[in-house]
Formats: sequence, structure tokens, C-alpha cells
Amino acid sequence: MIKKLPISCPSCSHELNVQSLHCEACSTTISGQYSLPLLLKLEQHEQDFIIEFIQSSGSLKLMAQKLKLSYPSVRNMLDDLIEKINLLQNELS
Amino acid sequence: MIKKLFNPYIFIAGGASLFIGLAVILATSIIGHFSNIHFPDVLSAKVSPGFPLHFCIAQNLINWIITSLIMYLIAAPFSKTTVRIIDIAGTFALARAPYLIAATIGFFPALQNFGQYILWKTMKQGNPMIMSPGSITLAIFLIIIMLLLTIWMVTLMYNGFKISANLKEPKSALLFVTGLVLSIIATLIINNQLYHILIHTS
Repeated sequence: MIKKLPISCPSCSHELNVQSLHCEACSTTISGQYSLPLLLKLEQHEQDFIIEFIQSSGSLKLMAQKLKLSYPSVRNMLDDLIEKINLLQNELS
Repeated sequence: MIKKLFNPYIFIAGGASLFIGLAVILATSIIGHFSNIHFPDVLSAKVSPGFPLHFCIAQNLINWIITSLIMYLIAAPFSKTTVRIIDIAGTFALARAPYLIAATIGFFPALQNFGQYILWKTMKQGNPMIMSPGSITLAIFLIIIMLLLTIWMVTLMYNGFKISANLKEPKSALLFVTGLVLSIIATLIINNQLYHILIHTS
């Protein structure tokens, strides 16, 4: 089973931070307060969309064919994603 | 299935939608010519006195082109994305599919006679017309079907508009209603002019 990385608090829906990182090879654990990178703050389906977009060489036409969706549907998904990324970037700065 | 009936544009738009839509418009015109159903504006479907085929085709094309153009001009300045005219034209052409069924409804004599019956019964105009209760019930049923087809078409148009321009509610609804009202007025005026040209040339 592939575990889903939680990006928001299940209790209050606030954004989650990374508190510890662990090396499986030497069992070193680093503790601290790290915020998640921007891409990881996106939902799983949005991350999948970005990967699909890169694999399609940025061609929305090709993506529409692969996903069996119309061109404007895929373009709208991309536009919504751009808007969300801009919003997240504004929150960071 | 419901999604495909009311919002097929998630799966089909642009050129493919335009191609099917144009075939639908042509078929609607031909059937409407034989069943005596015409479309004097973008929403109306009425029993006609038997218009020539070229008039029926022109009327349906005007309804589609004018509405697509108005909706495009309304959506483009308010959309954050680049609105493609082919998406608006394609989705709006396909949105006229319910009126292909509406055109076939004209083959029922009950619907043809009902207009004359109402005119005679309420205003004593035209030729005296007698209809059986069965025929009246059938005519009312067909009118309800027509109404449902209009609702279906408007829903298709709205979904086509929303997806082509990537507009969210309530902005999409407000712009669509504005566009629809303007389209009704524009198509009514242009089709009326077309009717006068037809009268003068024949």
C-alpha cells in the first residue's frame, strides 16, 4: 500500500510542517521545523497532473488525448492549478 | 451518463464538437423543413407555415453563429484564460442537438392543429377547429416535451459557455444570462429581416 503524504492537519485543516527526517541507512534522525516544498503542498491529483503535463512535453492536446478529456477541460485544469500555485507563492512571500 | 447528456464538453469540444454540431444543425433544418417546425430565435421552436429548405438552414445557422459570436464577445474580456472561438462555436453547435428531437415532434398532426385550435377557441380567429380530448392531451404532452428540450439545450449552452471560457459561478451565470438575452433579441431581429427578404423575393 502506498501511504498518502498528509499535507493538512486532519484536526484543524491547517498546513502541516515537517518535524523530523530520518535516514534509513544509518538511523540518523534530524529534528526541526521545515515547511513543505510548494509542489508537495498541492493535492495528489494536482501533482499527478503536473507529472503528466511534463511527460506530455507540455502539450495540452496530447494530455487531453491521454486523459480522454476535451482540450478546454485540460486547459481549465491547468489554469486552476496556475492560480493555486500563484496563491501559494504569495502566501510564502 | 447524466454528465455526458448535460455536460458532454468535458469529453468533447473544439473541432470534433463543431463537426458533429454542424451535422446536427443541418439535420435539424432538413427535418424542420419537412415537419414544419422553425426556430425564429435562439430559443423558440414554432410550427411554421412551410418554409423553403434554404430558409430553414439559414435560420438555424443564424441562431448558432449570432449566439456564438455574442457569447464569445461577452466571455473574452471577463475570462482569465484565452477563449477560443472554436470552443464556443463547437459547444454551441452541439448544444442544439435537443432541437433535432424538437424538429421531429412537428410530424405529429396534434401539435400542428393545436395552435389553430387555441386561436379559434380563444380569439375566434382562423378556421374553426375541433380536436378530440385525446389529441389535446397529446398536444399538451408534446409541448411539455418541447419545454424540456429547451431546458436541456440551455443547460448544454451554459455548460459549453462555462467550460469554453473557464468562468466560475456566479460570474458565469450572470454573463451567460446577459449573452442569452442579447442573443434572443439579435436572432429575433435578424431572422425577422430574413423572413421579410424571403417574402419579397418569393
